[in-house]
Amino acid sequence: MTASRETESATEPGAAARPVPVPDDLSAPYWAAAAEHRLVLARCSACAAFAIPPDQICPHCHSTTPGFAFEPVSGRGRVRSWTTIRQAFLPGFDRHVPFVLVDVELVEQEELRMVGRLLDGPDAPVRLGASVRAAFEDIAPGVAVPAFVLEGAR
Amino acid sequence: MSGRFAASNKVAVAGYAHSDVRRHISRPLGALALDTVRNAIADAGLRPEQVDGVVAASLFPTSGSHAAADGVSTVTAGWLAQRLGTDPRYVSSFQGIGQIPGAVATAVNAIAAGAADHVVMFRALHNPVGRYHANTMREAAGIDQWTVPQGFFGPLSMIGLPYNEYLQRYGADRESMAAVVVEARKNGARIPWSYWYERPLTTEEYLAAPMISDPVRRFDCDIPVDGVAAFVLTSAERARDLPHRPVYVSGYAGGASAARRLPLHWPLDDIMTGGEATVRRLFEHAGVKPEEVDLPQLYDGFSPFVYFWLELLGFCPRGEAHRFVQDGRIDADRPDGLPVLSGGGALGNGRMHGVPQMLECYLQLSGRAGERQRDRATVAVACQSSPHYGGAVVYSAAPF
Ligand SMILES: [Zn+2]
Repeated sequence: MTASRETESATEPGAAARPVPVPDDLSAPYWAAAAEHRLVLARCSACAAFAIPPDQICPHCHSTTPGFAFEPVSGRGRVRSWTTIRQAFLPGFDRHVPFVLVDVELVEQEELRMVGRLLDGPDAPVRLGASVRAAFEDIAPGVAVPAFVLEGAR
Repeated sequence: MSGRFAASNKVAVAGYAHSDVRRHISRPLGALALDTVRNAIADAGLRPEQVDGVVAASLFPTSGSHAAADGVSTVTAGWLAQRLGTDPRYVSSFQGIGQIPGAVATAVNAIAAGAADHVVMFRALHNPVGRYHANTMREAAGIDQWTVPQGFFGPLSMIGLPYNEYLQRYGADRESMAAVVVEARKNGARIPWSYWYERPLTTEEYLAAPMISDPVRRFDCDIPVDGVAAFVLTSAERARDLPHRPVYVSGYAGGASAARRLPLHWPLDDIMTGGEATVRRLFEHAGVKPEEVDLPQLYDGFSPFVYFWLELLGFCPRGEAHRFVQDGRIDADRPDGLPVLSGGGALGNGRMHGVPQMLECYLQLSGRAGERQRDRATVAVACQSSPHYGGAVVYSAAPF
């Protein structure tokens, strides 16, 4: 499980830190769970559909009072696409390039898609439909960011 | 009841002007825009005081840490109208994606409604100093918190994901795209104001350029520039008394409401499903059939959009565009070639955001394309942005 415990060395001299999320009223449970390396997603209280990201209005039933609550999900999914990022446009990513971003459809719901880093490295044997599971990068004290690793690749 | 617009072919383009397109122009963008607007008004055979409508497409499209300053990095209709020295009665800026179709629609609606008789519509693009999309943010708040912390940011990953989805799904080679980019640069190299004037690109050069967001190579992306273009639109009746042959606006459509996703997450199926709706509305509104289009100017701000528009407009089956573009079939110099980038597009001119597509439709249909003039150019389509978020306009050389 080393990949899911990959820790950023953001404290090394001269290394810029990655942007950290700023939790708000809606997202606080998401980031609190991520800090414990658990993936939870917003689920509409009116229609029970998941939404990434949650919004004022439910994207599925269009309720204006969706009452989104965060529920644990498996973190498992399949790769719908990927791209290898070779230029860092954000602070703190220079030391990661090249890195792979994967577009993942989670098993919980059709077209429930999430985009994150694939932590297996730029030469990982990623292909369409490959199985992945959620992993987490610790980028600052108490801050972890969801990512993915290939299932069964190691 | 027909879906055709009541104002179909009731409004026409009567003139244009275009500034030089350069990485950085030493003059302020606002001054350049005002000069270009005045040149367009003169080109249409009008005096500034006859132009009573000003419409702009004013989005400043960057993910970088650049503040938008009116008159400097963007020019709104209000900024320009205030400095035109006249008193236009209709002033409106279109802010959405698909800026040129959106601004054309605003101008057409104003003229059809009688809110203005003569509208000057312009787009001013700015390339700020520093890296165009680099962002120094240390904290990701609001909508950014869902993408930025994991490094999903900016338009290169936005297009890299659906482009790779296309390649993987249809077994296409990324080398096939050379045909699109080389064609755009060949045509752009012939346009005097183009950033790429006299600088065509070879297939070898395309393939030798580095990947920047695989499978997106450097020359799959248009280059950010400073540049302004302006067009004058008026009623079809008034246009017939002006010096140049009118080009009629038959209809337009914009992407309506794509599925809600993460910011800049544009899965291939979203693009194509939303694009189908855009194209269906476009042809209904314009009252033409896809097979009547002989000048489809496709959007190419990122080259994969050419594949998507080709398939959606019905020029080839789904998943076949990468084969369709080979063997000179989109070569505008061949009599049997489909002229999809004859105006050079954004890849051949610089990041002019839909202007090259609209301008080529205007120049060809008004008979003003010079050495590029085609024998047959009667119904044209100018596309902009992604088919699911942007839009398109149908132009006709004759009212029908
Ligand atoms: Zn709902």
